[in-house]
Amino acid sequence: MATLLEVSGLNKHFGGLHAVKNVSLAVERGEVVGILGPNGAGKTTVYNLLTGFIAPDPGARIVFQGQSVLGLAPYRIAALGISRTFQLCRPFVGLSVLENVVVGALGAKASRGADLETRARLLLAQVGLSGKEGVPVEVLSYGDQRRLEIARALAAKPALLLLDEPFAGLGSAEIADLSALIRKVHGDEGLTVVLIEHKLREFMRLVDRVVALDFGEIIAEGLPDDIVRHPAVIEAYIGRDNDVSPAASSHAA
Amino acid sequence: MFNKPVDLAGAAAFVALMAALPLVFPSNYLIGVLTVSVMYGIWAVTWDFMSGLTGRENFGHALFIGVGAYTAGFMNTTFGFNGWWSLPASMVMAVLFALLIGLPTLRLKGPYFALAMLSGSVIMQRLMLIFWESTGGEEGLNGLTPLIRSQVGFYYFALAVLVAITLLLMALARSHFGLILRAIRGDEATCQAAGINVTFYKIASLVISAAFAGAGGAMYAHYQLQVSPQLFAVVTSITIITMVYVGGMASIYGPVGGAILLVLLTELLRNFGEWRLMIYSCALILILFFLPGGLVAPTWRRLRAAWLRRAA
Repeated sequence: MATLLEVSGLNKHFGGLHAVKNVSLAVERGEVVGILGPNGAGKTTVYNLLTGFIAPDPGARIVFQGQSVLGLAPYRIAALGISRTFQLCRPFVGLSVLENVVVGALGAKASRGADLETRARLLLAQVGLSGKEGVPVEVLSYGDQRRLEIARALAAKPALLLLDEPFAGLGSAEIADLSALIRKVHGDEGLTVVLIEHKLREFMRLVDRVVALDFGEIIAEGLPDDIVRHPAVIEAYIGRDNDVSPAASSHAA
Repeated sequence: MFNKPVDLAGAAAFVALMAALPLVFPSNYLIGVLTVSVMYGIWAVTWDFMSGLTGRENFGHALFIGVGAYTAGFMNTTFGFNGWWSLPASMVMAVLFALLIGLPTLRLKGPYFALAMLSGSVIMQRLMLIFWESTGGEEGLNGLTPLIRSQVGFYYFALAVLVAITLLLMALARSHFGLILRAIRGDEATCQAAGINVTFYKIASLVISAAFAGAGGAMYAHYQLQVSPQLFAVVTSITIITMVYVGGMASIYGPVGGAILLVLLTELLRNFGEWRLMIYSCALILILFFLPGGLVAPTWRRLRAAWLRRAA
């Protein structure tokens, strides 16, 4: 496996707050990596740093497909093949569902001259939104908006898909559907996926490897089963208690 | 969403009506009013292309009108160029001003662009007074030559320009370029996450809008045969925005109807003497209050739907 994304020395201060502390991580091609951590651990900030929406403190190294993306504008990083979704759905309001997905493809160099509309319809069918192509996005349910975000992100044919809390605010049936969808796009296109989550159960079944963050720092890294038993993770989630059992921790959400 | 044959039929009917009016009522007064309404149509449709589609309001469209008109004035009177040179020259000058204001402010979020456009037009109006020795100050520049001697001839020329600009901007608005502009209105951050250079598209749309608004300004100068600092007036910019709202924001064709409707309304109300402004303002408030989506474009959509239902 080749390394797709390599990050080291990633730091970010917001005033006196050290939001991201010396984060280093590597993502291999074809992996599904989960970034786990309680609220405020710095997960979304890490995404914003990787995608250029926020500039990291000096000294960071972000290499994607052998090329440094440090200091590039967000649209340039996206055009290189990193697609992201947002924690709070941010569709293009005022556009139809189909148009939303077409716009998602327009920025990618690969889509010049391609039949974007046909591709967008295929993607919508893939995420289970067929029949809603002409609907204005404003009227979509929250779960459908999440599906649309993923279709929009996939439209750019990314090499790396960054999902920011894809399960937030969804019911358990919707979570099962959505994780099946993520597994499917990973399987079909061999796509490398990184996802942020703090809902443990579904997440643990979905990912190959977990990076646990707390207070902006990586506190543990490894296979899902090991992470659930990792004392530092347990402490971050439910506080220090010597009597806590691993079974109980896997229900924490 | 739209139906090509019906839309084309509607557009043809509108152009035929506008072209027939001076033949049915051959009065110089009516032709004058129609010519002015067509000019406002050009300004409203160009405003809508940038601000209506991207959602970045431009509070100083008069800047491009004034720059275009003064370019025509200097070219034609001071340097003695033939009047037709005014059109390309005014487009170039308006584009330069669009870049001057757009490049620094359109990369920022917040009201900077709107405010820079507003202050740009106010500053230019002052500058025309301060440098009165070359600009003619309050009097402006006089003695421009008309582009076309016959009044009806010029009206038909202006109408043709309006139709051409509107068709071009409609085609652009319905292309992928227009889709990106509408996506920018939807969410800028998502656009960037989709690999779209948001700043480039905003500036490009402003440049297109400014070029045609500037050409409209030059045509206006060659119609009035003079230019004055009044061209930069804030009230002109506000009038244009009102026309776009009445026409139906982001529909491109709607603002053309809005402009013609409001210019005609102003003239029709002349009989009411001092009540005119009162009635005009009340009509505007009622339209904006009860029809937040505008009057012209939604009406056309309803007519088209009814027509298609009957045809089916």
